[in-house]
Amino acid sequence: MKMRRTVQNISRSVVLAGLLLAQAQPSVQARQAARTDIAIVAHSNLPVDDLSFAELRKVALGDRQYWATNLRVTLLLRAPVSVERDIVLQRVYEMSESQFRQYWIGKVFRAEVASGPKIVNSTDAAIGLVSSLPGSIAFIDSAQVPKNLKIIRIDGKLPGQEGYRLVSTR
Amino acid sequence: MCSSLLLCLMLQVNPALSVQDLLARIEALEKRVAELEQEKKATAVPPATAAVAHGTGAAPAAITDASAPQYPSLHMTGFTDVNFSATDQSGARSGFSEGQFAMHFVSTLAPKVNFFGELSFTARPDAGIGTPPATGFNPEVERSIIRFDQSDQFKVSFGRYHTPINWWNTAYHHGQWLQTTVSRPEMVQFGGRFLPVHFVGALVEGNIAAGGLNLNYNAGIGNGRGAVLSRAGDGGDVDNNRAWLANVSIRPDALYGLQVGGSVYQDRINLSTGQNFREWITSGHFVWNRENPEIIAEAVNVTHRDYSGTLATSHSQAFYIQSGYRLPFSRRVWKPYYRFEYIHIPQSDVPFRGVPNLRGSVLGMRYDLTEFAAVKFEYRHQRRAPGEPRVNAGFLQTSFTF
Repeated sequence: MKMRRTVQNISRSVVLAGLLLAQAQPSVQARQAARTDIAIVAHSNLPVDDLSFAELRKVALGDRQYWATNLRVTLLLRAPVSVERDIVLQRVYEMSESQFRQYWIGKVFRAEVASGPKIVNSTDAAIGLVSSLPGSIAFIDSAQVPKNLKIIRIDGKLPGQEGYRLVSTR
Repeated sequence: MCSSLLLCLMLQVNPALSVQDLLARIEALEKRVAELEQEKKATAVPPATAAVAHGTGAAPAAITDASAPQYPSLHMTGFTDVNFSATDQSGARSGFSEGQFAMHFVSTLAPKVNFFGELSFTARPDAGIGTPPATGFNPEVERSIIRFDQSDQFKVSFGRYHTPINWWNTAYHHGQWLQTTVSRPEMVQFGGRFLPVHFVGALVEGNIAAGGLNLNYNAGIGNGRGAVLSRAGDGGDVDNNRAWLANVSIRPDALYGLQVGGSVYQDRINLSTGQNFREWITSGHFVWNRENPEIIAEAVNVTHRDYSGTLATSHSQAFYIQSGYRLPFSRRVWKPYYRFEYIHIPQSDVPFRGVPNLRGSVLGMRYDLTEFAAVKFEYRHQRRAPGEPRVNAGFLQTSFTF
């Protein structure tokens, strides 16, 4: 009887230890599922296929306002509380939400730009606008990019590729 | 509760999943639900209401649907502040005061033509009429600029500007909420004579990639100082001799947040005594504009040379260095700061006679009440000249944009 209880206790301990070990090491599948890549989609007339990360930052900051002499940059950004906006603010602007707002109010106040990014409330709205507004670019979850939309490479890389920088891992 | 139920359910369906996998999935799902709720709210709000400037996180042109640009498109923003001050300076009074009420206008007139305007109302004890004069507000057109953009590299504008002669003057000027501190450095104080803070004329500006250095330039010609040195030549050039300026700065890609630059400004100034001087202003700035830390340093030299050659050439200097740090806790709303500033005016500087010297420190704390309003507490310790008494003062300011 004693022997049986001891065996039961040992087997319970082994199972418990196994469970703890499994929790300590999240599976590769889970890590991939939690990764979000943000694609930069653009209007088809954009004369740019590839931007360096520094150039992307200049566009996002409003320091570069023209793609070409007669083609103005139109920046489309998701409204707050969206994965796309969070990643762009963290990775590109390196700003908090309030710093971002203050940045654009200051930029307009200094007469450096006439307006800030145009705000879109959904991925569908972003796709619709980027398809119709010449010179526009938008940041959307790469899993939701329609096949016919132009995607801008960042430092030669597309979403999903190793080293792509607009990515969030939870 | 829901999360726990969902966790149990998912464990039953797929026992191979680890708790961490499931928590990650729940977090992703909760985020998605928040997004969907946001989208639902947005569709329920008419587009015109959804296009509120600050509320959507950006600028006046926040839109929610595709619409053809309309011209002109006017947008307004405002800045103001309310202050309380107390000092141990003999003869000074403590109490509340209204800050400038500044209205900022932006209007796009055509795809490459924009108008920028700024109107301020400044409380003054003598703005009204009668004896003694009644208190009131002085209205002022601070800026009125029309700009034509040829490209990022070349833009031309005409109007009344914040003189791009140093960094602070163009970065903050009437937007007290934008600046970390309660007060401006004294060398760019409103109504001060040390630097000509406004400029009426024409400017060309632009930015050039310059191999990742990102070179920004301004070059301008204008009326220069008016008969009253603290005023721009709004009504015309008092001496039929144009002032000119040039400003160059870099913002390297490799050091995001850094700006380093310098300016030169030349003018002829005419005093009511009949004396005329050539004014030559040179300045430099170093700005690390990230909040952890924020570092702003500027230095200016003003040279006055008497045209008649009877007076010695004089050199007046001023500099300040300011540092702040956004504390990482409590939603990052606290930001302590410190500034040291210095102004030296030699007695031989005739145009600056009456402009006081300064050696002083400013120590304060900014608390961001909301994303558009802040409260600042500031202690100031100043001395005008060796041997003169030190002056201590405390300030409380609430400043905001609307």
